[in-house]
Amino acid sequence: MVEVMRWAGLFILAACTHVGAVEECYTAETSGGQVTFRVLQAGAPYSGNFRHFTGEVCFAQGKLTRIDATLDPASVDTGLPELDAALKDEEFFAVREFPRVTFVSSAVHSQGTAHTTRGTLEIKGHRREVEVVLHSQQSGGKLAISGALKLDRLQYGIGTGDWSNTKWLSAEVILDINTPLTRKK
Amino acid sequence: MTRFLNSKEAYGIIAQLLHGCVAVLIFTQIVLGLYAANLPVSMARLQWLSHHKSLGLTILALVIMRLLWRQIDAPPPLPHTMAKWEHHAANAMHRALYLIPVLAMLAGWLYASAAGLTVNWFGQMLIPDLIAKNTELAPLLKALHHVLVGLLVLLLIAHIGAAVRHALMLHDRVVQRMFPWWR
Repeated sequence: MVEVMRWAGLFILAACTHVGAVEECYTAETSGGQVTFRVLQAGAPYSGNFRHFTGEVCFAQGKLTRIDATLDPASVDTGLPELDAALKDEEFFAVREFPRVTFVSSAVHSQGTAHTTRGTLEIKGHRREVEVVLHSQQSGGKLAISGALKLDRLQYGIGTGDWSNTKWLSAEVILDINTPLTRKK
Repeated sequence: MTRFLNSKEAYGIIAQLLHGCVAVLIFTQIVLGLYAANLPVSMARLQWLSHHKSLGLTILALVIMRLLWRQIDAPPPLPHTMAKWEHHAANAMHRALYLIPVLAMLAGWLYASAAGLTVNWFGQMLIPDLIAKNTELAPLLKALHHVLVGLLVLLLIAHIGAAVRHALMLHDRVVQRMFPWWR
């Protein structure tokens, strides 16, 4: 009898925990969303966009639980075709060999609408632990997340050879992420 | 005796220096621009085009200084030996030699702005963009910059050609107004 009650108790506890941790997952949308990079060229600010990215973002009780995102570096768009071609080439993203940039979260600390997210960022075969503060907000009746990820391009082999000169092309790159989320069915 | 200010016979040292500086810098600028624009996308192109943009703004400032200086210190008159049409041609040419480089440099600055490639003047000072980034307009402004530079090259050929004519064929001391030490 004691054994049965113990099992029943464990079952109820497991059920309650499961209910408490029910995740709501969302899809990040390229349409309406934006991933922009900012860098300094010759000491002046320069920016461009990535046109294609996808992602799954999950929340439980308002807290971000995990994020899994992919960005297509071949979708880089600076408005200058020559520059876009160079960015897809070997010295920058080498998109033929590395067609995806990925981010997978490992731990999230949520405080209100700010979610300090740690995870692994992989660019051009280089995997590094990074931390980014993502903000969730309602915009136009839709949930959206935004954040700015600062990274050192040289740690990922972005801009090799002559391009590694950081006086003319800053090592620091900021990725601004801003995307609406659609609830997964 | 060398004078700082213009006289009836010759330009003074200030006008001569401004003319000399702008002449050397414009030739350097054209060569630099042609060289850089034909490089493939590379660090060298980024560096040379950055120098080109900084130098362009420097020349623009010098040309504006020359224009202001002309208002303060009137240039020496052209000799009466020149026909009336020659006076008109010379005046029109000098106006164009101020106007076209200014327009060419403004078109270059507009192009850099539209391409989103803001200028940092020799790495010392961030220069404001003239217009917001507009990648559709950028190729048109680039073409306009090239046309104006082409026009400037033609004007410079005519200007130097006229100087050679005055110095070697007419011997009317028109060229000596700018180079009074040249006997």
